[in-house]
Amino acid sequence: MSEFDPIAVSIDGSAESVLVRAAPSRPSVSTSALRAAFARHGGVTQRVRVLESGALRLRLPRHASPCEGIILNTGGGVLGGDRLDLAFALGAGAAVVLTTVAAEKIYRAEAEPATIATRLTLAAGARLDWLPQETILFDRARLARSLAVDMAADASLLAAEMLVFGRLAMGETAVAGSLRDDWRVRRDGRLVFADATRLQGDIATILDRPALGGGARAGALILFVDGQAEAALDPLRAALAAFEAVEAGASAFDGILVARLLARSPEALRAAMVAALGILRNGALPRVWQ
Amino acid sequence: MTPLPLPLLVWLSPGFPVGAFAFSHGLEWAVESGAVHNAAGLQAWLADLVAHGSIRADATLLAAAWRAVDAAEACAVNDLALALAPSRERRLETAAQGNAFLAAVGPAWPAPAIAHFVTVLADGDAAYPAAIGVSAAAHAIPLHPTLDAFTLAACSNLVSAAVRLGPIGQTEAQAIIAALCPALARLAAWAATSSIEDCGTAAWGADIASMRHETQYSRLFRS
Repeated sequence: MSEFDPIAVSIDGSAESVLVRAAPSRPSVSTSALRAAFARHGGVTQRVRVLESGALRLRLPRHASPCEGIILNTGGGVLGGDRLDLAFALGAGAAVVLTTVAAEKIYRAEAEPATIATRLTLAAGARLDWLPQETILFDRARLARSLAVDMAADASLLAAEMLVFGRLAMGETAVAGSLRDDWRVRRDGRLVFADATRLQGDIATILDRPALGGGARAGALILFVDGQAEAALDPLRAALAAFEAVEAGASAFDGILVARLLARSPEALRAAMVAALGILRNGALPRVWQ
Repeated sequence: MTPLPLPLLVWLSPGFPVGAFAFSHGLEWAVESGAVHNAAGLQAWLADLVAHGSIRADATLLAAAWRAVDAAEACAVNDLALALAPSRERRLETAAQGNAFLAAVGPAWPAPAIAHFVTVLADGDAAYPAAIGVSAAAHAIPLHPTLDAFTLAACSNLVSAAVRLGPIGQTEAQAIIAALCPALARLAAWAATSSIEDCGTAAWGADIASMRHETQYSRLFRS
């Protein structure tokens, strides 16, 4: 994609340039990787391999059941130009919950976007709950993110991502920058779900538009790919309907359940997410969510 | 000035049997919920779809299908187009029109590349923008006018749906189409040089509207 997208910035007729200033928190960009493999042995899922480099670490609470992995970014946030590569592989029948220790902060970028690339591989009968905490895009952040899933036909995936636009608690209301977010989910080799977000320019103004964000500053996508996904649609819709401060919809087709949520307040969004994920999970949410 | 390729006028006219009139793209819910209640609201909603929504994404998908070197590449674009549908009804909307488009074009406007595409799809669905892109390329119709015609048809169909839903009259409908034409032309010009990497949206409100439409009590439209 070209750096300047004439369509994306033409909404109010002005083509505001994205000014860049250095983020003060860390001197240089970095590349980090986290790769982990899990297998089921004797009815219990265990890690078989964890590789950590750069700022990424994986914490594995000993007594968590099912197996829980908590991702930690010791860099304290993501700078423009940073690259985070994450890959998790679940062997046959493995059941893992992955989350993050805290919200991920995306700082304003000098020029290059930050890149976060995640690959998830689920073998036959595996179940993965991919439940990171929210990602906060600071004003003038640039982020290119991808989530690529390759799952067996009878594997089960629950994936949810929350985005917050601006440091709302600090009163940051002007939010510019760019976001590319690409989800690709392959089941038995076939592309069954994709999502592609392209936001560039004056993000706050874009989010205020009626068919876009409707005034929201936080949004979420929930994806449930499971043999029972369609049966969860009515309960999920009922759960979401209880949150008046959240604009939400859900739909199901072809063994896939998808829900989209928008809210002005990240707290309202998170409350609705906790309720929605409670419908789609067998157990409680990870403790970091509570 | 290059003459306008006549097949486009046929394929993207409201009379071409793809059943476009049956789909509102979630607009029926937007009217029901009050998000779109007058001409200004409709124009804003459609401008969003053009600049940041499905019409933008479909234009890049059409362009990618038009550029595909063979049926396998066209099918990869087609698979992405189907997978990107954000709801059950939006998936139905693109597949029903894509399948109907190929069923109508195949016999009336035969071309080897269209036949190959249908063969490789096997019993899978065709996504509407992919079907148009493949067919235009098969008949050596340039990409840019194809995008002009497609974006205008997509917009006109939704304006026509809005007239039936009630918030605007015929005069306002024509004024909205006229007002949106510059944005459609900008989109077509941009999409003609776009890559599949550019495909994407930020029209979450419209996506939610299509989901909410599925449980709307009284409905004229299939999406």
